[in-house]
Amino acid sequence: MTTVATRRNVPWSRVLGRNLTLATGAGILWLFLMVAIAAPLIAPYDPIYQDAAVRLAMPSLAHLFGTDNFGRDIFSRVIWGTRIDLQIAVIGVLFPFLIGTFIGTIAGFFGGIVDTIFMRLVDIILAFPFLVLMLSIIAILGTGLSSFYIAMALVGWVSYARLIRAQMLVLKNSDYAVAAVSLGFSRSRIMFRHLLPNAIAGSIVFSMSDAVLVLLNGAAISYLGLGVQPPVAEWGVMVAEGQSFITTAWWITVFPGLSIVVLAFGFSLLGDGLGEWLGVRE
Amino acid sequence: MSEPVLSIRDMTVDALLDGETRTLIDAVSFDLGRGEILGLVGESGSGKSMICRALVQLLPSKAISITGGSVMLGGRDLTVLDEDAMRAVRGAEIGMVFQNPTSHLDPVMRIGDQVAEGIRYHQGKSRSDAKIMAIDILAQVGFPDPQRQYDNYPHEFSGGMRQRAMIAVALSCNPEILIADEPTTALDVTIQAQILKLLMDLRDARGLSIILITHDLGIVAQTCDRIAVLRHGQLLELGEKRQVLSAPQHAYTVSLLKSHPSMLEESILPSSKPAALLTTAKPLLEIDDLVVRFPMPGLGLFKGGKAHVAAVNGVSLRVMPGETVGIVGESGSGKSTLARAILGLTPLSSGHISFDGLDLAQQRREALAKIRTQAAMVFQDPYNALNPRMSIGAMLAEVLASQNKVPASRIAARVHELLDLVGLDREFATRRPQSMSGGQCQRAGIARALAVDPKLIIADECVAALDVTIQAQIIDLFRDLKSAMNLTLLFIAHDLAIVRNLCDRVVVMYRGQIVEEGRCEDVFARPQHAYTAALIAAIPDIDPDKPLMGGLSAETIPHLLTA
Repeated sequence: MTTVATRRNVPWSRVLGRNLTLATGAGILWLFLMVAIAAPLIAPYDPIYQDAAVRLAMPSLAHLFGTDNFGRDIFSRVIWGTRIDLQIAVIGVLFPFLIGTFIGTIAGFFGGIVDTIFMRLVDIILAFPFLVLMLSIIAILGTGLSSFYIAMALVGWVSYARLIRAQMLVLKNSDYAVAAVSLGFSRSRIMFRHLLPNAIAGSIVFSMSDAVLVLLNGAAISYLGLGVQPPVAEWGVMVAEGQSFITTAWWITVFPGLSIVVLAFGFSLLGDGLGEWLGVRE
Repeated sequence: MSEPVLSIRDMTVDALLDGETRTLIDAVSFDLGRGEILGLVGESGSGKSMICRALVQLLPSKAISITGGSVMLGGRDLTVLDEDAMRAVRGAEIGMVFQNPTSHLDPVMRIGDQVAEGIRYHQGKSRSDAKIMAIDILAQVGFPDPQRQYDNYPHEFSGGMRQRAMIAVALSCNPEILIADEPTTALDVTIQAQILKLLMDLRDARGLSIILITHDLGIVAQTCDRIAVLRHGQLLELGEKRQVLSAPQHAYTVSLLKSHPSMLEESILPSSKPAALLTTAKPLLEIDDLVVRFPMPGLGLFKGGKAHVAAVNGVSLRVMPGETVGIVGESGSGKSTLARAILGLTPLSSGHISFDGLDLAQQRREALAKIRTQAAMVFQDPYNALNPRMSIGAMLAEVLASQNKVPASRIAARVHELLDLVGLDREFATRRPQSMSGGQCQRAGIARALAVDPKLIIADECVAALDVTIQAQIIDLFRDLKSAMNLTLLFIAHDLAIVRNLCDRVVVMYRGQIVEEGRCEDVFARPQHAYTAALIAAIPDIDPDKPLMGGLSAETIPHLLTA
């Protein structure tokens, strides 16, 4: 038998060197993260400061991405918007991921009535169009980002629960699961220590493409006026604000729109790269 | 030997991985005569399958290619043919039979159509002609009612019948050469004997040349004319069967022959019945009229009227401390279910299992607690039995910690002791299963069982997935451990020869029941039940002069008709 190098033994630099997709995706996300952290340092203007003298200015050296109808600097707003949109992508994925993974693990491992209850719940949630459900929850809770996160957590977990459950159904019959039972390990130990680490790779990969959807959803919700409220700089809000000027001042819409696309692209690449690295076939 | 049908000269196959070139097949040359059966023998990784895939240019990856040599078939060099020409060769001139008939047959296509497809494609026959020819071929490979069975799907057949169907598909285009890649490895031993007999009959009837790839020297001894021994992609030895078996030239061939379990190790047998026969001792394990039933799939839509199938049906067995009992039987005989029931992993339908005096049905909690701390299991598939995300050391430490028999401060030292005990280097504590070979994984699995410090170890087919030389090592390890630690061992296997080498007592299971039980020597020398006799006779012996099935005809054994 040949010896296969284990994943953990390979240094990060070599993993990234061989996996260009992973490297590019991670690079893009790292760049956005740096921009978000350093926003006060890089942004040339206050993102909500209105300068009536330079309303709807074309992109120029003074205003790299131009200005909007209130005379706010688009470049600064895009930079500050990175903070909000990264946060939306991360928090909007994290809670559904945790909840879905937990429920999926329990449902898949125990099966029977527990499984039936949770999976019917999943069916009910999936029976509604995603955005309609989101909008009604936000409408009940009131507008704002925290409502958006709660709505995401209530609706988004179903995909993770299904993914993990399917894996658990297979893994719980594997010999090492049987071995763990026969060695007298507790159920929670078998579930979370032995089976979950082997089941989770697919969900991690999926969470990256999910981040793209969450990001677009967050932008869409803000666009509809139910998420981030003006004048806070958020890309979706900016796109919404710019649409009435699209024929005369394209830059108001295009630059935040482009940022969404590039960040989404970064998540997507990272997801593909992780899939390759973790050996997940989709 | 007449003019060879197939002539391979200095065939070299290289793989290009991460910029490094690795030679998988190193300048192998051999001829295949008309009507000859050539056995390619070697262990996993020896390149025996790779050679045959290279012959028909069905290499598993683009990184692997034939880089030298020639393969002459009827005056053409196959290595330089393009894909279109190769497609005409595959099937029409070289047919292939694979190890796993279940995954190589199309599950949604009728068996007969799969045979007829090749006839229509390669011989250009009409639909109705092809059907007539397909039925004829199905009859030739032993389908009792080919007219009706033409319309059946693969899942309606047993493994043996599926393998017959695969052979029928391979024969459909009337090839000159048949490559059979481990055709019987996935089959029970009595079915294996039938398939091998079928291959030999086909050779006689059609003048077929066959390349038979196998890891089992017994099969080669029984069926082949010449043997080629391979290791690490090199041809070590090639010669007439009797010559290779009786006077092997290469040291590796000698060691392969030695590892074959049908070689009785006389010196070991007499010494292996110690305290077991002291009738005064209390049995460690007592099974009384055990029944385990499973609900039949597909019929459970409405409650009530659920059909059940009994996997274990009225088994009684007593195992004394320190005894080694072999449980043999073919797939579906209920031996694995029995093992799981003993360990409390499967609920009992009726009957009793008592372990060290505690009844698993009546005092379930106490009995389970005892079993979890005093019994352990070793599994068949060494890779699937270990958690791929845990290092061996972490795995052993976890067992030691949960069993609470070793103080926390001693756990690291104990892990090393366990590794020593199963013959693994201490550096394996940091390794993960994916970087280890099958044999090493199985040793780690045994170490995990020993970490419990058990009185009873149940080994379920624990060598079935391993190469013969590794099998022999693992059996030796069990033998050493058994004598060193006074273990009680329940050894489940379908391979009778292995059981004969290791066990004091043997229990033969057939369709959920014990049909025969007794001391190993007695059962093997004088089997009482027809099924046991058939099982023993079906072991391919390494001695070519002992015919397969030992003169027993299929008609005398009721079981074989249903295969």
